[in-house]
Amino acid sequence: MDFSWSDQQRELLDAVGRFGREQLNYDVIAHDRDAIFNHDAWKKCGEFGIPGLLVPADFGGLGQDALTTVGALERLGYTCKDNGLLFSINAHMWTAVIPVLSHGNESQKRKFLPGLCNGTLIGGNAMSEPNSGSDAFNLGTTAVRKGDKYILNGSKIFVTNAPIADVLVVFATVDKSRGAEGISAFLVEKGAPGFDPSHRIKKMGIRTAPMSEVFFENCEVPAENLLGKEGAGSWLFTRSMTWERGCILASAVGAMQRLLETCIRYANERKQGGHSIGKYQQVATKIVDMKMRVESARHMLYHCAWLTGQRKAVYLEAAMTKLHISDAWVKCAEDAIQIHGGYGYMIEYEVERELRDAIGSKLYSGTSEIQRNIIASLLGL
Amino acid sequence: MPLAKILVAFKSVPDPADAGMSSHDIASKFVINPFDEIAIEEALRMRERGDVAEVAGVTIGPAAVDEQIRAAMAMGVDRVIRVDDSRALDPYAISRILCSLVGREQPSFVIMGKQAVDDDSNQVGQMLAGLLDWPQATFVSKIEFLDNYSRACCTRETDSGLEVIEVSLPAVITTDLRLNEPRYVSLPGLMKARRKTIEVATCEQLGITVQPLTVILSTARPPKRPAGTRVDSIADLVARLKNDAKVL
Repeated sequence: MDFSWSDQQRELLDAVGRFGREQLNYDVIAHDRDAIFNHDAWKKCGEFGIPGLLVPADFGGLGQDALTTVGALERLGYTCKDNGLLFSINAHMWTAVIPVLSHGNESQKRKFLPGLCNGTLIGGNAMSEPNSGSDAFNLGTTAVRKGDKYILNGSKIFVTNAPIADVLVVFATVDKSRGAEGISAFLVEKGAPGFDPSHRIKKMGIRTAPMSEVFFENCEVPAENLLGKEGAGSWLFTRSMTWERGCILASAVGAMQRLLETCIRYANERKQGGHSIGKYQQVATKIVDMKMRVESARHMLYHCAWLTGQRKAVYLEAAMTKLHISDAWVKCAEDAIQIHGGYGYMIEYEVERELRDAIGSKLYSGTSEIQRNIIASLLGL
Repeated sequence: MPLAKILVAFKSVPDPADAGMSSHDIASKFVINPFDEIAIEEALRMRERGDVAEVAGVTIGPAAVDEQIRAAMAMGVDRVIRVDDSRALDPYAISRILCSLVGREQPSFVIMGKQAVDDDSNQVGQMLAGLLDWPQATFVSKIEFLDNYSRACCTRETDSGLEVIEVSLPAVITTDLRLNEPRYVSLPGLMKARRKTIEVATCEQLGITVQPLTVILSTARPPKRPAGTRVDSIADLVARLKNDAKVL
């Protein structure tokens, strides 16, 4: 295992860092306050090439490996303060781009990937339902084949990007009696008859990432938009979920590094009792703990991505990576507020937002409890 | 009949966002001269509109400027020639090198920034036009081709307002700030640039000998400005302006 970057990787990562710093950090406080998705910044990310990092050049991407991709997303999280925007991009990459790339047929790849790579198409997925969250495969949304169409009925909740999406990977059962074996994946396009993604949901954090409840009422989906085979949905979901768990918090590692540096700066500048607060052990210890968390999080992220690049199964590593980074991110954000004292609680200092943004990471892509269940079962418990 | 080739000349300068430095010995970070970047952008837009087939770049410097060459290629410049010379050259020497390169490349016209932000000489474009005996349009904020690409209508930004002139091609055009806003280099551009090769030429290969007529004796950072002070009243302000600053 060698995690030192080559000259070419370094060039790419530096370019991503510059891009994040110079192009994406405007009006973040106001966008967070009003829960506004920054369309312009999304467009810039698309043109810059972020969503296509992993996709082969043949389909409009940059053909980078998993390790370089998480490195780039980490750099983006380090330089761009709009965690919601980055969450939207991550949802797009791991829950739409990856499933289409891994399981789409040639014509689906040709139709969707170039647009998903350059950001002209926005994607996401719809899995969770009001009565099916952690019990993921107990779906109520049904799909019935009628001629050259499938008819979908049901509803989905917590669908990231849904209000702005051009295409959603929707999971529905073609035969409830078959349980997980009955689940199938469909590419549902914006404007499909009977498809309503307009019911927005307000959130505590990552407020700049739009989310809604989605309804399917006799929603017509062309049969050619079936992704993978009928009944292959649960397998497809598990595979793309493994990618998602291993990679979705790459930008969180960057955000933690940014928080760490912000805290070090503040602890050196802020003087109380005649010297900088960093000289007080209680503050210094918090910062040391932050550093330990960032380093361990980064190593787990890189290791998992490296294994993925070696085409190794990372079911266990992805769950551990997700669990560890989300925990570390929340603790770092909490410590950052504490180090900043009353100022950290003020919106203007942009520290409190980090905590609100971080907490969701213990819920999406499988709660921390579910990650522990996975890890426990793989340990033979 | 669209044009065959634009030659765009650019210079590496210390990053103006870094500090107001003019010496390559002291600065740590270099960028393409912002006015030249505008020239590159304009050339690329012309190629994208189908006005020209090829955008070739030229720069002068040691291998260290390859980073800025890669940046130009990542923007979309098709190929770049680096004239290998690490001396601090003055505008006349640079113009003579560019002149010989124009002879070799035979471009439809030459475009570059009106000046470089390090020494602010504002002479190369004019001298090159003189050496080539070509028309020149300097400080240009708008370019339109006329009469089947035989002439260009250029809007110049002058101290007394906008001046619109027509030049016959080939010509030397130098760009002003408001001509365009250069594009942001994308990752696909960066990847494509990796496949492009930098052509290196020496003055010897170009068959010329240049000696700078001016020599830079020393460069130094501007002195740090002392912190300002607050005054309590207008009377105090007037007194300070009179007694300390001695401007009243």
